Amino acid sequence: MSAGPYNYSYIFKYIIIGDMGVGKSCLLHQFTEKKFMADCPHTIGVEFGTRIIEVSGQKIKLQIWDTAGQERFRAVTRSYYRGAAGALMVYDITRRSTYNHLSSWLTDTRNLTNPSTVIFLIGNKCDLEGQRDVTYEEASKFAEENGLMFVEASAKTGDNVEEAFLETAKKIYQSIQDGRLDLNAAESGVQHKPSQPGGRPGTAAGGDQPGRDNCAC
Amino acid sequence: MLAVHRDVVNIVQAKFLSAEVVKSIHLNVSSLDGNWCDEGRILALVEYNKTFALFILISAKPKPVSISDLSIETVIPIDRNFSCDTEPIEDSQCHIIFIITYKKTKLSFKIEIGVESSNFASEVIRSKEVSSHNSPVFVWLDKYLGTMNQQNRNSSDLTEQSDLPITRQHIAQGQTAINRESMLKYQLKLREPEYTQIQEFTVFVGTWNVNGQAPTVSLRSWLSTDDDPPDVYAVGFQEIDLSKEAFLFNDTPREAEWNKYVLDGVHPKAKYRCVALIRLVGMQLAVMVNTQHYPHVSNISYDTVGTGLLGKMGNKGGVAIRLQLHNTSLCFVNCHLAAHVEEFERRNQDYKDINARMNFRRSPLAIKDHEQVYWLGDLNYRITDLTTTQVKTLLARNEMTTLLRADQLNQQKERGNVLLDYTEADITFPPTYKYDLNSDTFDTSEKARPPAWTDRILWRGKGIHHVAYRSHMDLKISDHKPVSALFKSEISVVDQNRYRKIHEDLLKKMDKHENEYLPQVTIDQTEIIYDLVKFREPQTKEIIIANTGMVPAEFEFIKKLEETSYCKDWLRIIPYCGSINPGEKCDVKLIVNLESDLDRIYDILILHLKGGKDMFITVSGECQKSSFTVSMSLLCRINMPILRLSKEELIQAEKNNLLYSVPREIWLLIDHLYRHGLKTRELFESSALHEELIKIRDWLDHGSLDPIPGSIQATAESLLLFLSYTKDPVIPFNLHEACIAAATNFQNCRQIIVTRVPDLHRNVFLYICLFLQEFLKYSNDNGYDAKTLASLFGDILLRDVDRNSKPQASRGKANFVYNFLVNDLSSSIVPPK
Ligand SMILES: Nc1nc2c(ncn2[C@@H]2O[C@H](COP(=O)(O)OP(=O)(O)O)[C@@H](O)[C@H]2O)c(=O)[nH]1
Ligand SMILES: [Mg+2]
Repeated sequence: MSAGPYNYSYIFKYIIIGDMGVGKSCLLHQFTEKKFMADCPHTIGVEFGTRIIEVSGQKIKLQIWDTAGQERFRAVTRSYYRGAAGALMVYDITRRSTYNHLSSWLTDTRNLTNPSTVIFLIGNKCDLEGQRDVTYEEASKFAEENGLMFVEASAKTGDNVEEAFLETAKKIYQSIQDGRLDLNAAESGVQHKPSQPGGRPGTAAGGDQPGRDNCAC
Repeated sequence: MLAVHRDVVNIVQAKFLSAEVVKSIHLNVSSLDGNWCDEGRILALVEYNKTFALFILISAKPKPVSISDLSIETVIPIDRNFSCDTEPIEDSQCHIIFIITYKKTKLSFKIEIGVESSNFASEVIRSKEVSSHNSPVFVWLDKYLGTMNQQNRNSSDLTEQSDLPITRQHIAQGQTAINRESMLKYQLKLREPEYTQIQEFTVFVGTWNVNGQAPTVSLRSWLSTDDDPPDVYAVGFQEIDLSKEAFLFNDTPREAEWNKYVLDGVHPKAKYRCVALIRLVGMQLAVMVNTQHYPHVSNISYDTVGTGLLGKMGNKGGVAIRLQLHNTSLCFVNCHLAAHVEEFERRNQDYKDINARMNFRRSPLAIKDHEQVYWLGDLNYRITDLTTTQVKTLLARNEMTTLLRADQLNQQKERGNVLLDYTEADITFPPTYKYDLNSDTFDTSEKARPPAWTDRILWRGKGIHHVAYRSHMDLKISDHKPVSALFKSEISVVDQNRYRKIHEDLLKKMDKHENEYLPQVTIDQTEIIYDLVKFREPQTKEIIIANTGMVPAEFEFIKKLEETSYCKDWLRIIPYCGSINPGEKCDVKLIVNLESDLDRIYDILILHLKGGKDMFITVSGECQKSSFTVSMSLLCRINMPILRLSKEELIQAEKNNLLYSVPREIWLLIDHLYRHGLKTRELFESSALHEELIKIRDWLDHGSLDPIPGSIQATAESLLLFLSYTKDPVIPFNLHEACIAAATNFQNCRQIIVTRVPDLHRNVFLYICLFLQEFLKYSNDNGYDAKTLASLFGDILLRDVDRNSKPQASRGKANFVYNFLVNDLSSSIVPPK
């Protein structure tokens, strides 16, 4: 398919998930701005970033949703999984607890996305080798057992950040080529042409309006 | 919005007529022109009759104090040719470059990032949007144009369209028409000097009208007389074949023959490769480059235009080849214009037609759009007003100036009729037409045509330095002599490494801009904790949403998946959606009002920005128990005011035995009404003060030895509130339908009350009805009749699940209650167990 009057052929929706403080927002920032944002404020909500990349000569716009990791927001952030073509699941190699929680994040992802969603496991902060709390081998084994792609990366140095985002896109693109990803399915997370970011609760297709019209205002 | 500089705005406004309204200004602007930075500019956006213009004013003081401090530097109408953009400054966090583009004019200003700049920019953008919907008329600007200097006036007056830069705002908004690619091209062009360097290429251009002759002699003496081999050859012929076949079928063996001689004739010290060979009837053009340059040639395209017979045949006209050499676009045009001395106007027309009709496939550029154009050929302009003899005499005397003054091309060019903007080198060679064949003698035939410089080479564009312009007398097979010109031309050569870096840099920037131009807001707090939340005592908390981004932010509270509303029913959000301009703020009120029995309130609100991120706002608070919202069953199991008991004790109390047959609170309220209210007019209809109700609530919930506070009407309203909010309605929901159905018959109604309504609820119901019967005995004093009371209490005793919408089946409920107000109830009363 050609880019036509638009400058990109596809839009892929990504979500970034994982415990609070593992570096999700820094990864997004590093990817979109090529900078490390050391004093990144806590994400209270869902941040949004975009970048155009090229896969096999096709321009693809990535629409990336960076979610809040706090447990208390878990119920709300679940509604953002819907329609993600890629999920970047992040833990912090210097904090074991963030690794231990992966199975719970994975369960959510599997339950809330569709089978063709590409899940990429990122062990972040690999620049802090001295404080390592999770070995490469065991995480790699975990990834293999669960059929996830995996790298260790650093949002600080930029190591492997580009790769993680791009590899995910390549895999999604492959799925489209193989016909494994049905573009017509409403929740494939891939769109053919540009549109406003969508797929959030309340504004999802179907045009549901806010439930209460607050006519008092 | 203007409040910031109200005083300055007034001074600026004084520069204009009163109908020309200064909408927005920006102070302390520096105008950037190359390396220059002129401080003390003020930008002003002025509106007149729905048209807008941007004025750049020079201010004598940083903050002008009088109208004489100001003068107008430039005026730019805001129409479809106008666009604005911003660009970050490498090493500055607090300044930004504000770029105004109008047609080919580009003005840059350094401004400080802040509220003023974003307000100003958004005003300008808005006015631009308004202007693109209608076709504005700018006659009102004429008077100001007169006050500007000439140079600026021209710049706003350009008729030629240049590429319109696309504002970044549009990219961010994902507008479908935005072409990232063309934006990128535009930006790359702007930064060309950074990734290219100029290299001089030798360009040899030759033209020869061969008068239908076949080649027989080497062309070396024409094509390779210079010491060094040129980098580029453009060799044009006219009249290579005068046969009918060539004319009618545009097919001739001469093409290959002449081309072979050209290839043999090029400079022996280099190897050449043909870029393109093109022919129309007798006009032929070949462009060759030194083989080493060939990899840097791209976008080759060509076309032919016939202007001969019928205005379209190929006996006259032009052929052209365009190409890109490294990063510079080149165009070579070989023409053969109309013949005959007196036909100079026809020649001018041919020239115009060639320009208008030359249409390169695969390139949107016209001839004139190329950075360098080389125009060659038999232009056929003659020497006028001189006889053959006079010309020959002047030539013999070497009076070139006189002769050249009589040259039609020079004359027509001077008048702007042809080859405007083209340059020709000084002619130092004798006329190239018309010679006797195989000689250097001018036409000795009967016609004895006066000699003329029919064969010419001109150029247009930047960086072309001519080295030589000459004729070649050695080639005698034609009645024309060949001409050649040698140029040193500046070609912009791309440094691939630098190009890649800048290209990537631009892509990054565009991504960055796109992200920057996402709507951005901050909220001052994301965790709202209310003080102790009490029944029907609203609390308001405010959050401030500030637009910190570059585009207007449209916000809206949206509902979570699987919820029906964007907030719980104990909360109201005002406003729950809106739009905030950059730099502006919006206060949003979050009003909690508790009307049900909750231990605590807790919710996560989603504040969504259209086209951007979502933010979560947590609202929470502890709630105070109230007798108004718990169940009557609980109230009948506790022997003291509800707030004297802890939450644990209350849970425990659910299992206690019933201590009362009706809740203490109801008894207290009704007892008070019985004693003091039976004769009060409008007892149930005058609304009490909110504080009175709160006091009564606290009196009931905390308990007190004081008498019940507030007016008697407040007590009456409290009773109604109590009955409306109590956890389960007096008549349980599931019986409402049966009650309404039975309403026409008292015995049926009584049956429901006696057999189907739970004991406690029956007690309350009858207790209230008995009180109302008592109350009706004083109808003359209080003015109530049974019907009124029945309809008032019907909706309350049989309240709907949804308390906030209009009551359902009010009439049926009233009829049901009416039965119990006008009939003897003694038989309905079941003695307490
Ligand atoms: N050393 C190091 N620190 C990082 C890296 N990524 C993030 N951080 C730090 O980890 C903290 C949390 O990052 P953030 O992106 O806010 O985490 P999030 O809650 O997952 O979005 C911040 O203080 C970052 O500076 C990394 O790759 N290396
Ligand atoms: Mg974060």
